[in-house]
Amino acid sequence: MAKARALDKRRKSITNIRKITRTMELVSTAQFRRAMERAVAVDSYTKRLVRLVGDLVASGLATDAPLLEPREKKERAVLLILTANRGMCGGYNSGVLRAALARLTQLQEQFQNVELYVSGSRGLSYLKYRKFQIDQFYGQFDHKPTFDDVNLIANQFLTRYAKGEIDRLEVAYAKFVSISKQYPTVEPLLPLADMTKPAEEQQAEHCPALGYEFLPSPQDVLEEIVPNAFRLKLFKTFLDAAVCEQIARMMAMKAATDNADQMISLLTTEYNRARQSQITNEIIEVVSGASAVQ
Amino acid sequence: MNNLDSNLNIGRITQVIGSTFDAEFPEGHLPAIYNAVKIEQELPSISVKLTGEVQQHLTGGRVRCVALGSTDGLVRGMQCVDTGAPVSVPVGNNTLGRVFNLLGEPIDRMGPVEAAEYRPIHRDPPSVADLETKSTIFETGIKVIDLLTPFVRGGKAGLFGGAGLGKTVIIQELIARIASAHGGASVFAGVGERTREGNDLWREMKEAKIGSSDRSVLEQTTMVFGQMNEPPGARLRVALSALTMAEYFRDNLGTDVLLFVDNIFRFSQAGSEVSALLGRMPSAVGYQPTLASEMGALQERIASTNKGAITSVQAVYVPADDPTDPAPATAFGQLDAFVYLERSISAKGIYPAVDPLASSSRILDPQYVGQEHYDCARRVQTMLQKYRELQDIIAILGVDELGEEDKLVVHRARRIERFLSQPFLVAEVFIGKPGEITPIKDTIRSFNEICDGKWDHLPEQAFMYVGSVEQAAEQAEKMKAQSKRK
Repeated sequence: MAKARALDKRRKSITNIRKITRTMELVSTAQFRRAMERAVAVDSYTKRLVRLVGDLVASGLATDAPLLEPREKKERAVLLILTANRGMCGGYNSGVLRAALARLTQLQEQFQNVELYVSGSRGLSYLKYRKFQIDQFYGQFDHKPTFDDVNLIANQFLTRYAKGEIDRLEVAYAKFVSISKQYPTVEPLLPLADMTKPAEEQQAEHCPALGYEFLPSPQDVLEEIVPNAFRLKLFKTFLDAAVCEQIARMMAMKAATDNADQMISLLTTEYNRARQSQITNEIIEVVSGASAVQ
Repeated sequence: MNNLDSNLNIGRITQVIGSTFDAEFPEGHLPAIYNAVKIEQELPSISVKLTGEVQQHLTGGRVRCVALGSTDGLVRGMQCVDTGAPVSVPVGNNTLGRVFNLLGEPIDRMGPVEAAEYRPIHRDPPSVADLETKSTIFETGIKVIDLLTPFVRGGKAGLFGGAGLGKTVIIQELIARIASAHGGASVFAGVGERTREGNDLWREMKEAKIGSSDRSVLEQTTMVFGQMNEPPGARLRVALSALTMAEYFRDNLGTDVLLFVDNIFRFSQAGSEVSALLGRMPSAVGYQPTLASEMGALQERIASTNKGAITSVQAVYVPADDPTDPAPATAFGQLDAFVYLERSISAKGIYPAVDPLASSSRILDPQYVGQEHYDCARRVQTMLQKYRELQDIIAILGVDELGEEDKLVVHRARRIERFLSQPFLVAEVFIGKPGEITPIKDTIRSFNEICDGKWDHLPEQAFMYVGSVEQAAEQAEKMKAQSKRK
């Protein structure tokens, strides 16, 4: 009986785990839809804006924007790592962290100081356990990061960058390409010139002639548009991270539910077998006992 | 034997049922319980030569006996002679180097045994006052055993395991390790196992040398066989015959004796086979109702006294991998050290397939093995226990979901699990690695270092089949060099 009871107990606990993973799967599916809509909605706007900046730079009309210029000074860099607040999302967090740490060692070679900014408590606990010094932590971003929240952070970076306190900002996050393709990556956000390069090439191919007219002046437009491009770009990384987290969770929970199902069926078979053999045994004992008496 | 000798107590067979038979003796001259009864007769087709042991006194001058040999050719009406004593076997130094059956007859074709003394196989266990109470560790050089289930000098150790998990291999390994380093006599009892294994063992012992001398291990060993081809009566009594010989070395020569029994389950099984024929009502799972007392009568005699010590290692088959089966469960209670072999571990290719959590030892206690050893063993067990608890979660959610602490536990537990394997002396030809004898000191240091995380950087595979942890490092180097060459 001991064996059958132990099996039953284990089966029950796995059934409970399955309930949780199944629920998580459904919740993340719903959240993923919403997160993806937001990301896609922002996407085209971001692309256009980034291209505009690229165009501007390429046109050579206005180059007097500090955000666009690569800096000679290499004193202090910031690496912002976007992870999830919660687990149950497979290799999502560890993927981002692995990419981030690889980049971190490179940055540390180039810069005298590298500050670590971390969003998401998973990343925090991972880095804390490995005794990294964390300079800033954000825990407020979940499946639905708002522009206002990201804007606050973006403004901080902008002021510090303008003051020359930091010379570079890079973001490690999971990039969302499509439902079936996401990958962890590290992208430089400040200075913006790095960011605009691909747009520049694109632009050169597709529309060689510029059709812009700047009012009141290219310089004014640039001053307005470049910080905004940065804010939006940063916001986009948060949105991408949120989508990828939900996708990762959805898939991880689907796999977990499948695994649990498999284990439950295995344990059920084993339990039935144990129970059956126990019954058989008892019958044999009674019958052979009775026949021995005769 | 002259059956017509008037001094002999002669009876007639009245009934033969399988491997039991009834015999009728003149009223008032019944043979005592456990007395040996002999039947010897030449028939035209078959020569009957059988010894039986009296088990029950029935009504009307009849006794019921268990046949200790084949009952082929036995016919109702045959004469049988009461020998007046239980089966007696030769004891003493002349038995060393020889192979016997349960009746004490040599079966190695090396001529008769000149023994000064014969002893009945049924004897009382030593009295409480004579028992030795010291508990010291008995080093085997096998890491998992020394660390987690230290054997007791003068104590009893059991190797439990289902079919094909390597019980016999471990017994043979222990013989190779201990008997070759051991000064005193060794006794091996083959109970209901394969005859081939007994043959192999005999040849191996003949070749193996004691220490650095040129005397073979066999010269210090007495072997008694009642293998699976024998009828149940033989398998039921062969362990007692071997034990009687071992007892003589202990009591009269005062030496430390090693007693190996493979396989004590067959003793219970043989008891169950004859039990129903003797008319007893079967008990739990069809075993004999006297299972516990039979086992107790045997095991209590395997004891160390103030004259000498018997250190015994017994293999115990676990039917259907179910340790709650009455036969292994009864044996379990008698032992000082309990080594449980687990199928899931052998399935991973880790030998000896000792389950580090199910196995235990009475002397795994700071009082006997010392604080450092105890702490190390507990540490290893705690880590493996934690890993086992996490296994369901890993199977469902994956390793990524574990916390950082837990990931580290899993990382080290997997290394410990593999490090519990060890190359055996007797398995050298199979795995192509020489056997490793690891001193306890090295074992404890190695496991402590793994727990401390000193060897986290080595790949898991490097921990397979090595002695001390430094060899794991060497193996890792070799593996690296090999993969580079590719």
